[in-house]
Amino acid sequence: MQHKKKAIAALALVGTLALAGCSTASGDGGTSAAGDCTPSDGKVDLTFTSWIPGIEDAVQLWNDENPDIQVAVQTGPNGNSGTYQNFFNQLKAGNAPDLGQIEYDALPNFRVQDGLVDLAACADVVAAEDDFVPWTWGQVTLGTEKEIYGVPQDSGPMALFYRSDLFEANGIAVPTTWDEYKKAAKQVRAAGGYITNFSQTDINQFAGFVWQADGQWFQNDGDEWTVDLTGDASKTVADYWQDLIDEDLVSTYPAWTDEWNNAYNSGEVWSWNSAVWGANSIASGAPDTAGNWSVALAPQWNAGEAKAGNWGGSSTAVFKGTEHLYEATKFALWLNTSDEALTALNTSANIYPATTAGLDLPSLQEGVEFYGGQKIYDVFKEAATQVNPDFVWGPTMTQTYADVADGFKAAASGQGTLFEALENGQTTTIDALKAQSIPVKE
Amino acid sequence: MTATTAMPGVVGPKGAGKGASSGAPRARGPRESLMSRTAAMLVMAVFTLYFLVPIWWLLVASTKSPGQLLTTPGLWFADFNFVENITALFEYRGGVYWRWLGNSVLYAGLGGLIGTLIAAMCGYALAKYRFPGREVIFNVVLGGVLVPATALALPLFLMFSQVGLTNTFWAVFLPSIVSPFGVYLTRIFAAASVPDELIEASRIDGAGEVRTFFTVSIRLMSPALVTVFLFQFVAIWNNFFLPLIMLRSEELFPVTFGLYTWNSQLNQIPELRSYVLIGALLSIVPLIVAFLALQRFWRNGLGAGALK
Amino acid sequence: MTTAPAEVAARAAENRPAPRRRIPVPHKAAIAVFIAPFGILFVLFYLIPILQAVWQSMLVIERDGTFGEATEVFGGLAQYVLVFQNAPFWASVARVLTFGIVQVPVMLGLALLFALLLDSPLVKGKKFFRLAFFVPYAVPGVIAAIMWGFMFSPNLSPFTALTKSVDFLGADLVLWSIANVVTWVFVGYNMLIIYSSLLSIPTEIYEAARLDGASQWRIAWAIKIPLVRPAILLTAVFSIIGTLQLLAEPQVFASFSSAVISTYTPNMTIYATASVPNSSLAAAFSVVLALATFALSFTFLKITQRKGADE
Repeated sequence: MQHKKKAIAALALVGTLALAGCSTASGDGGTSAAGDCTPSDGKVDLTFTSWIPGIEDAVQLWNDENPDIQVAVQTGPNGNSGTYQNFFNQLKAGNAPDLGQIEYDALPNFRVQDGLVDLAACADVVAAEDDFVPWTWGQVTLGTEKEIYGVPQDSGPMALFYRSDLFEANGIAVPTTWDEYKKAAKQVRAAGGYITNFSQTDINQFAGFVWQADGQWFQNDGDEWTVDLTGDASKTVADYWQDLIDEDLVSTYPAWTDEWNNAYNSGEVWSWNSAVWGANSIASGAPDTAGNWSVALAPQWNAGEAKAGNWGGSSTAVFKGTEHLYEATKFALWLNTSDEALTALNTSANIYPATTAGLDLPSLQEGVEFYGGQKIYDVFKEAATQVNPDFVWGPTMTQTYADVADGFKAAASGQGTLFEALENGQTTTIDALKAQSIPVKE
Repeated sequence: MTATTAMPGVVGPKGAGKGASSGAPRARGPRESLMSRTAAMLVMAVFTLYFLVPIWWLLVASTKSPGQLLTTPGLWFADFNFVENITALFEYRGGVYWRWLGNSVLYAGLGGLIGTLIAAMCGYALAKYRFPGREVIFNVVLGGVLVPATALALPLFLMFSQVGLTNTFWAVFLPSIVSPFGVYLTRIFAAASVPDELIEASRIDGAGEVRTFFTVSIRLMSPALVTVFLFQFVAIWNNFFLPLIMLRSEELFPVTFGLYTWNSQLNQIPELRSYVLIGALLSIVPLIVAFLALQRFWRNGLGAGALK
Repeated sequence: MTTAPAEVAARAAENRPAPRRRIPVPHKAAIAVFIAPFGILFVLFYLIPILQAVWQSMLVIERDGTFGEATEVFGGLAQYVLVFQNAPFWASVARVLTFGIVQVPVMLGLALLFALLLDSPLVKGKKFFRLAFFVPYAVPGVIAAIMWGFMFSPNLSPFTALTKSVDFLGADLVLWSIANVVTWVFVGYNMLIIYSSLLSIPTEIYEAARLDGASQWRIAWAIKIPLVRPAILLTAVFSIIGTLQLLAEPQVFASFSSAVISTYTPNMTIYATASVPNSSLAAAFSVVLALATFALSFTFLKITQRKGADE
């Protein structure tokens, strides 16, 4: 019967098309996004979209314990591979899920599209601030004082993965500064390898380097945005890598390809400046090198400093249109703070928690075989506390990433420089903001 | 034309796989020299290699353990893990792959069937009847394929949202049964293979227009219909744009979109890689089965021309 | 009867009104029954979304403050001005045109050759070849591009002897590497269209020629090719459209080739713009691309039709 009804509804499409044309202009909410955070009566059904493989198991734990708040989880492709686009479409149509996974760098975009509910109305959320690693909280407040647009889920503090066997065999000290890293790069090159591979497409990795150097790509003073892809820190980082590329000290394989995996697996490339979740990528991409890797804190710009960049990390956000803000935040907090959920996410998908307590999960205390038994998560725990809390993402990162990546690709093939790519990104980003009528300082 | 060639299933000179040298006198011409035949077979053989080497690579890759994908030669087997890989694929996430395969068969099978039928009716009408607006319709249908699907995604999604049909079977099924290409192809074929005299004869016999179509014309058009069906089947099978925008529930995914989803998660869960490869290989099998099952209709279609 | 296919295409191309337009139309009800099912669905899932996209392309966004609510208001042709100022977009149009001028004739030439060979008595094992040539079309696009990425990879390819010395993924060649994938996927598809068109030709038409001793090549050239001309034109028009709308293959190539940027083809630009999300600009790009596609297909049909008339 259900099917028949839907078939009839399908036919009814004809009649309602005229409406479709004019009712899609914008979402319902106003600019102030604070929601009403009171419990609903009776049983509540929530929908949640994520792309974490195996998240169903964690949600199942919740559903078993909370018969009155049942969460239906749906998984799709990774954010930029389609799920964000779907969220935007759903927000426009007014049928977004209650909750969704959104990476930190995409939150401002959803905020600008007026898609997120301010969770500050929920006392539980406000109170949870202290549970989280401070800078992750900065990622969900979007640089505001009182507004909260998501519950941090995981983070990607960056460190240096390196082939300890090769470094040792060639008598190269583990670099602690970027200067030393460049010197090491020359030694590695002399030994026939490359110290690392410069990725032309992982602009968020590059942003992590700028982040570590205390750069700021975006700022929002409430009246207008400031775009600064070409500031001092960005220039330092861009010039540094440009040098390495020019001197043929780094390889430039496109990242995440077989070719790239092979470069690591065959021992051609000796280190990777990556985030905590990268631990797994190496293990599966370069299986022949098991046991030969170690992790150290990232090289510093100035000797003696202790700064880390961040690459990646998601939040659980509540979408405009939900009728159950209270229940939604309850679930989001449970998912991202409770030991059982964090353990489940860590086991099934290597999610690295954003809570302070989560950094001490039992599974993160153990030595990892692939890294010769090193307790690598101790390093990341330290890095997680060294991330600058003030880094802000812009509202059109998809476009910024694409444009800068285009320039980086050209630079890697010898046309133009990384810094020129950033300069171009600066211009096109400002244009993109203007196209959205977002006030921006020129 | 003689009665023998008019009978369906009789092996004619074309498409039946029967060599020229056997039987009929017409087949043995002096100009079909050994050289011509050798040259022809050589061309076919070279291109068979071209077409099948990548498929061979996929087959070989799906028998390897994940660690061997990069470390062993791509075109030859290493440890034979085919069964292990298939078992792992079928067990992953409660055997969701099976479900996807089933969905695809439903979307593509049913969609291809209905899509072919309505396209054939439309193409037939455009070919066999004269009426005002005929060319306008024909050109508008061509116009429909000029706009890239990327541009239609959002309007389609909003439209289905209006009636609450997103994330349902219908959201993927309904738009995918529309095949402007099918209308084009069937129009050309109807014009070529359904003689007006035959329709006229059917009218004299007292059959209605619609009945004539379903009893006489559709059979004459069968090679075209099979072609359209096959293309429509594969197009729906491989369409990932509609599922991408319309579907959120994993249990509704068709197989290619499911594989795309897994492929996009490779950075997080690299083990998915071997599932994607073997899943892709297996997803070709139903298409091959459909192809083999349908190709006999091409032969039957030979009768079409002969009937006249 | 034998000239019917050519006639249909000619008329389609020329948009010539039906000759007997003033005579009352017989079988009105039947025509409606035949056309309605497709017609209704076509209007719903093509025509209306297209009109909506056209409408969307004329909207611009207004908002207050940095996080102000966005409202879409009518902006006339403002988005189109941006489209015409967008140099990368026009560069990508030029790129796919270059692609099409080479790839479409090669692909259709091969498709025609294979269809004729399959239709001739020269080739044995037709069933096998039909299947073997068609299988690539059955491979999901993403997987196909991944497989070829592997084949072209400098260090991992089974043909490293070649790929180490020739950079198939570099700026000079990558367009043709993509062309290779598209050809690989679609030759079998186009071959089947032409082949099934050959099958619908009544055999007696060239039986006589055969009995007169004409060779297969002569029969193919003088009889078969002219008869399947409509099918060839059809595949050509759809290939031209497909070329201008290239998306999946270059998109996958972008992940392993530094030479493929995010605006490599017009449709990639549209896709990237839609993901910003900037629906209005994406819609304007789409409308312009559709018009360009139309102009090109129409010109093609006009030219081929005139040529056909000369013969």
